[in-house]
Order: sequence, then structure tokens, then C-alpha cells
Amino acid sequence: MSTGHGANAVMTKPGSGRAATHRKSWWVAVAVRLMGAVIALWLVATLAFVVLQALPGGPAEAALGGPGSQASAEALQAAREQYGLDRPVLVQYGHFLGQLMQGDLGTSYSQKKPVADVMGPLLAPTLTLAVWALLAAWVLALMTAMVATGSSRVAARLASALELVASVLPGFWLAAVLIIVFATQLGWFPPVSTGTARGLVLPVLALAIPLAGYLSQTMREGMLNALASPYALAARTRGESPWGLRVRHALRHGLVPGINLSGWAFGYLISGAVVIETVFARPGLGRALLTAVTGRDVPLVLGVTLASALGYVLVTIAADALVRLVDRRAA
Amino acid sequence: MLNSSRTSTRQRALLSAVALAAIAPLALSSCSAGGGDNGASGGAAEQNTRTTLTYATGDAEPECLDPHVGGNYPQALIGSQFLENLVSRDKDGKIIPWLASSWSVAKDGKSWEITLKDGVKFTDGTALNWEAVKANVEHLQNPKTGSSTGYLAFAKIKSVEKVSENVAKVNMSAPDSALLESFSQPWNAIQSPTALKRSQEENCAAPVGTGPFMVKSWTKQDRVVLTRNENYTSAPADAQKQSGPATLTQIDWRFIPDSATRYAALQSGEVDVLDNAQPDNIKAASAASGIEELDAPRPGASNRLELNSGQAPFNDQKVREAFIRSVDVDAAVNSLFMGTTKRSTSALSSVEPAHQDQADSYPFDLEAANKLLDEAGWVKGKDGIREKDGKKLTVRFPVSTNQSIPAEQSLFEQLQAGAKQAGFDVKISLLDLPSWYEALGKNEYELVSAPYTKVGPDVLRILFHSSGIKPAPSGYFANHAQINDPALDKLLDQASATVDDEAKRTELYKQAQQIIAQKQVILPLYDQQNHYLLRSGVKGLRALPTVSTPSFLDVQALPAK
Repeated sequence: MSTGHGANAVMTKPGSGRAATHRKSWWVAVAVRLMGAVIALWLVATLAFVVLQALPGGPAEAALGGPGSQASAEALQAAREQYGLDRPVLVQYGHFLGQLMQGDLGTSYSQKKPVADVMGPLLAPTLTLAVWALLAAWVLALMTAMVATGSSRVAARLASALELVASVLPGFWLAAVLIIVFATQLGWFPPVSTGTARGLVLPVLALAIPLAGYLSQTMREGMLNALASPYALAARTRGESPWGLRVRHALRHGLVPGINLSGWAFGYLISGAVVIETVFARPGLGRALLTAVTGRDVPLVLGVTLASALGYVLVTIAADALVRLVDRRAA
Repeated sequence: MLNSSRTSTRQRALLSAVALAAIAPLALSSCSAGGGDNGASGGAAEQNTRTTLTYATGDAEPECLDPHVGGNYPQALIGSQFLENLVSRDKDGKIIPWLASSWSVAKDGKSWEITLKDGVKFTDGTALNWEAVKANVEHLQNPKTGSSTGYLAFAKIKSVEKVSENVAKVNMSAPDSALLESFSQPWNAIQSPTALKRSQEENCAAPVGTGPFMVKSWTKQDRVVLTRNENYTSAPADAQKQSGPATLTQIDWRFIPDSATRYAALQSGEVDVLDNAQPDNIKAASAASGIEELDAPRPGASNRLELNSGQAPFNDQKVREAFIRSVDVDAAVNSLFMGTTKRSTSALSSVEPAHQDQADSYPFDLEAANKLLDEAGWVKGKDGIREKDGKKLTVRFPVSTNQSIPAEQSLFEQLQAGAKQAGFDVKISLLDLPSWYEALGKNEYELVSAPYTKVGPDVLRILFHSSGIKPAPSGYFANHAQINDPALDKLLDQASATVDDEAKRTELYKQAQQIIAQKQVILPLYDQQNHYLLRSGVKGLRALPTVSTPSFLDVQALPAK
């Protein structure tokens, strides 16, 4: 009798069911994410450019052996022309953005090589240190958080205190203490990075310990909240052991803030490990950034800053994805 | 229930995949990195000696290994391992043969004839001849090279001509008694003309010279690997090994900026020699067995405070004298440097034969200081700081954290406290290098400490001739004391033109130093510190008497680690 256009039939266009809406909104979310990332990177680049213009000391000297150069007027003029430093600031900025959009990071004033070539060999050591530091921090943090949420009140108090102390230890001091104890006195590890695994231990520890302090504190918060909830009590009445309760139920609630914190930490470690890199004489982007700022090497500063910003963006996206995996409520 | 277990299995699989993906590159990188440290027994046939030496430098890593570009001390340190000069200096300050075997100067000082050693080749096979000298001078004078130090030293060279294949004639625009000293500096070293023709990027990565070692590889922020030059034939006249290549086959030149780490690496044996040893390390080393010290002050000027006599308040000689008498430098040096260095009372480094100690000109006398300031019309205010015509006795003191070691910064603070007793308000500002140069360029300083390394007493002309007040194109000027004295200028010009009488030249520089001391525009502190620490197993290390860089030519095989 009817062709399906009755009052009970739902008018549906092909591709507009709930599943389709879900797919479309996912694409929109991704697009918004990407736009946000691009805008963030552009802001970082612009801010760095502006700040560098405001610093005293001219970048042209960077190409002539550094500040205070006594190079001839011709050499100075040649350097200014070569790097476009005699053009108005807005023009320089436009040129810099234009280069950037073509994927060209420019040429380092002081090292006279493309910025990408300067940063390239430093990526692997920087990432190695960052990843190992993060892993070590997680191992330490998990151990401490498990004890801090455990049944022994004394141990829990001790663990909490340990977390706090670890998170406020200055990196330089910690590095010096590690060298004195483990390198000079005990001789277990070399005091400088040697390219071997043994040479990685002390720098990783110096970075991991303060990070573990932070991680452990956030994880403990999350876990304690979970342990106080009704379903935890329900699990206990079903016969779950205290250990199993923490691992199988509460841990997830600690992992989520931990993962978000790790995202921030990893981004920071890309260019922020400069003190540890300097003390242990390890190649790294942090050191390159410091040298570049001191020498007013504008392209290199911008290159490392952008790499760092990009790192933050990528890692935040990854952390979000990981959180969705771990926390089914967010999926 | 079914759904959740399927999801949890998938989730678990994903998590494991992610974990594996994260760990795999780590495992791979650690494996490959494990092969890094294998130079320990490079080349030695016997089990108990080795010929690879590890050197740790605390100076900044050069941006370009070619010392013609820019020209700073870190470049001199490493450059002197693979590049050599026409002449060198012996420890008495006399110019001795190196790549040049003999030389002579025309009576009017307007040209020099330099005869090169026979049969010397650069490590790329190019022969050392008059054309090589010409190519190097031109490279330094070329604006595209961007030379600072080397270019300045060759400022009076007009051209280089051929006399014969191995004899070059250097024509001057004006007589320059410091020419040979300039030719002895690492920033004026002789590189292969073939190599100089390459792009600057290539030449910065591995310059080609005649030295006992050559550049093999450069890992930024890590090390430069130098290997032995097997065909080495050009030892300077004062080297022990006058023929044949070095005994060492490899030098690992590591960059370790932190002084505590550097010393720890020396103690543990990771490193055989280090430079830029700080006073606390030197003190510890003298107590430790197995570590020795090589004290090699840099040439040129001493480390001194300069008083800006170009503007108030230090344009008044009485105020300058008062400041100098108000600070106890001896006590500060002894306590902060822990007895590792001596007080200097000379404008010149103690390694310069022309230096003159003038302790009488720089006494510590707080009473005299107060009296002088009273005479000059400065009255002590309620806060202890003197005032005159409504202005306070403020002394701006920009300090470069790149150049002043922590012990020196503490010394300045002690001097600040001492000067306060006489009523000076010394304001120390810690700045990074470009900001520091900016402050100097803008004349926003009353006191400054600016080291100047140069071979020979000609540095007095650079630092104290009135022409040094005029800024270079970059804004930099060298005469920070802003001393403008015609009698002093005349002496310095005369000395620069005295090319054929070393005794007379020295006498003129001594007279110049008298005037500088009388004018009370500087307060000498100590020699430019340059301490090397080495493990006792390292025998034969010496510092070249040119700019006190280390020479490894005479070093014997080292004991195994």
C-alpha cells in the first residue's frame, strides 16, 4: 500500500546515518587539529623572530666569527647582503615565512651550512636521550606510585616524600652528584657521554629522576581517587587482592594524567635538556639552541624553536591517541 | 561482555605494538652507538702502550675549523694541530724558523723577503711555495672570508710577489715591525692554496695544512678526530723531533664545556689532557698523584681592568688613581685563585720579553684613595657613596660571562666591595657576549676587563694608541681605556716602524708602558690564564711559545688505559 513514505518511515539520505555522522565529525576533528597545529607553529616562529630582533647585538657578526668581530667594512656589508639583513624587518620576516612554507629552514649564520644540516645529526642523540629518560622515569614512577598507594602506611609516606624531593631536585646539582658518586668514586659509569650504552646511564638518570617525581605524584593522585571509588570496594568484595586492585583497576586512572604529562615532558626534552647535555658533553638540540641564541644566529634559533614546537604538537597528538586507548571512556 | 573482551584484546594488541615500535629504535640505536668508543688501542702493536690521545677542551666549539674565518682562541687551539706558520717564537720571544727558513727586511721597512723551507708539501700534495703565501694573504684580506683577527694582523700588507719559486716578497703599505709576529699566529697560518679554492663550507669542515696531524672527521658538539700526517717534514726550530712524523697516530679532540665534568673525565682516564683548568681543579690536581699541570699564559696583554678615561668620572686622573688605590687586588687574587696564579702589574703578559712590572704604580692604599677623592671634590653621602654636583660616583662595570670564569667574577665582586669603602658605587652587570659588546660600543661603561691575545708587544699599539678609539665597522673598538696621549702615540708609531733593531723596539715599548702606568688607566690583574692538566703518562707535551697552544709532535706513546 505504501511505498515507504509513511509516517513511520524515517527519511534517511544515503551516507547520513549515525555511523556516517561519526566519520564526518572525525574528519572535521582531524582537520581542526591540523589547523591548530599549523597556527601554533606559525605563532611560535613569529614570536621567536620578534624576540630575536629585540635582542642587542647584530646577527651579521655571527657570520664573521662572532660578536665583537673586527672584520672589515666590506666583509660586514657582504655578510649583511648575503643574509638580507639590510632589508626592512617586515621584508625579512616575509622572506623567512616564504622559505619556511617551502620547507627551507635557511642557512645558519655562524656555521654557514643549511640549518637542516646542522640540526640533522643532533636529532638522533636528542631523541635517544629523551626516550630513554621518559622510559626510565616511567619505571621509577610506577614503582614509587605502587608503593605510595599500597597498604603499608609508612612505606606510602616515604614514597610520597621521595616523589616530592625528586621533583624539586635541580638538574645541574643532580648531575654533579651522580658524577661524583657513580663516576669518580665508584667508577661504574663514565663521567662523559662516550657513545656507548654505559655513557647514557648517568645523563638519563639525571633527567629521569625529577621527571619520575612529577609522574609519580600525578599517577598517585589518579590511583588514590580510583581506590576511593565505590567500584573499587565492589571489586574487593568480589575477592580482588590489594595488588590486583591497584594493577587491574586503579592503574588505568593513574595512567591517563601520566600520559598527558609525558607528552609535555617529551616535548620539553627536545630542546630543554641543555643543562644535562652540557654537563655530560652530549650532542643535543638544547645546546645548539643555547649557542645559537648567544651568537645571535637567527636562522638556527628559529629552526630549533620550530622543531621543538613541532615535537610538542606531534607528541600531544600521540598522547591523546594513547589516552583514548587506555581510557575507554574517552574513546 | 563479549564486546568488551574483543575491544580489550584489540586494545592490548595495539598497546603492545606501540610499545614495540617505541623500543625497537632504541635497541637499534644503542647497538649502533655501542661501537663508538673503540679508539683506545688504535695502532699500537704492543699491549701496554697506545698512540691515541684524548684531549678535552673547555673552550667553545669553533664554528669553522679554518682560523682565517673570524679568528678566536678555540680555533687557534685546534688549528695549530694541523696548520703551521711561516715562523714561530722560542720561549725567549725570539722569532725562529718554521715553514720559512730565513727572511730579511728592506732598509725602509716597506718590503720583506721570505725564503721557504725546501720540499714541504701540504697533506693534499700541493707544494709549499711563494704562491701559497700569496694565496693565504689574499684569502685573509678577502672580505668574503670574513676574517677578523688574521685580517687585522695583515692590515699593512699591500701585495705578495715572486722572487723565485721558494722566495716570496711581501710589499707593505707602511713599515710593520710586528709582521713576523703576525705570521706566527695561528690565525695567519698557511693553508693549501688548492684547499682554499673550495667552498667556505668545505674548508671550514676540514682545512688542509702542513701540520703533524690532519682533520679526519668532525662530529658537532662531540669531537674532531685528527689523524697523523705520515709525510710530516716541517717541525719548528725549537721542537725536539726535528724529522719524521709524530709518534701519536690519532688525537680525539673532545668538546666538554663543563669544567667539573672535564676534570672528572681526566681523573677517570677517559681523557688524557684538558685545557681551561679552573683554580679548584688545579688545586685538586696538585694534591692528587698522577695529574700534572702545564701553566702556559697567553701572550699579548695581561688580564687587566680598564678605566674609561673618555668620560666622567674617570676622565679625572685623581679619581682613577683613587679607584686603583681603593682595591686590594693581591688579596683577592690569592684567595679566589687559591694560589694558582701570580698577580701581574704589567700591561703585557709575562711571556712577552718587553713586559715591565710596575708594582709601584698600583699600590693598595685606602687612605690615599679617600684623600684623593676628597681633593677631587667628591663628598661622601649618607649611604657611603660619594657625590659631586648632584651626581653619584657610579661606576658601570659590564662583565661578559663568556669570557670571565667564575673565579674572576667573584674577584670583581670583591673589588666592588673594596671600592665601596672609598665611596665608589660599582655596578656590575653580567651580560652575554653580544650584549657586552653592545654596552661597550655604546660607551656605557666606566670599567671593563677585555682580554686580548696577540703575539708580541704590538698589542700595546692596538690597545692604547688613540686610533683605537675609532670603532670598527661592527662598532667594536679596542682602546677601552680611551687613552689619547700624543707622546704615547708617537712612541707606539715609532716602535711599529722600527723593523731592524729589536733592542730599540723593546726599549720604545718599555717607555710606552711607563706612560700607560703613569696615566693610571689600567689596573693589571694577572696573566691570561691558560692551564693544561695532563695525566702523568703523557710525556713530551709542550705549549708553543706563539699563542700557548699545545703541541703534540713530541709526545711519546702513552701507557695503555
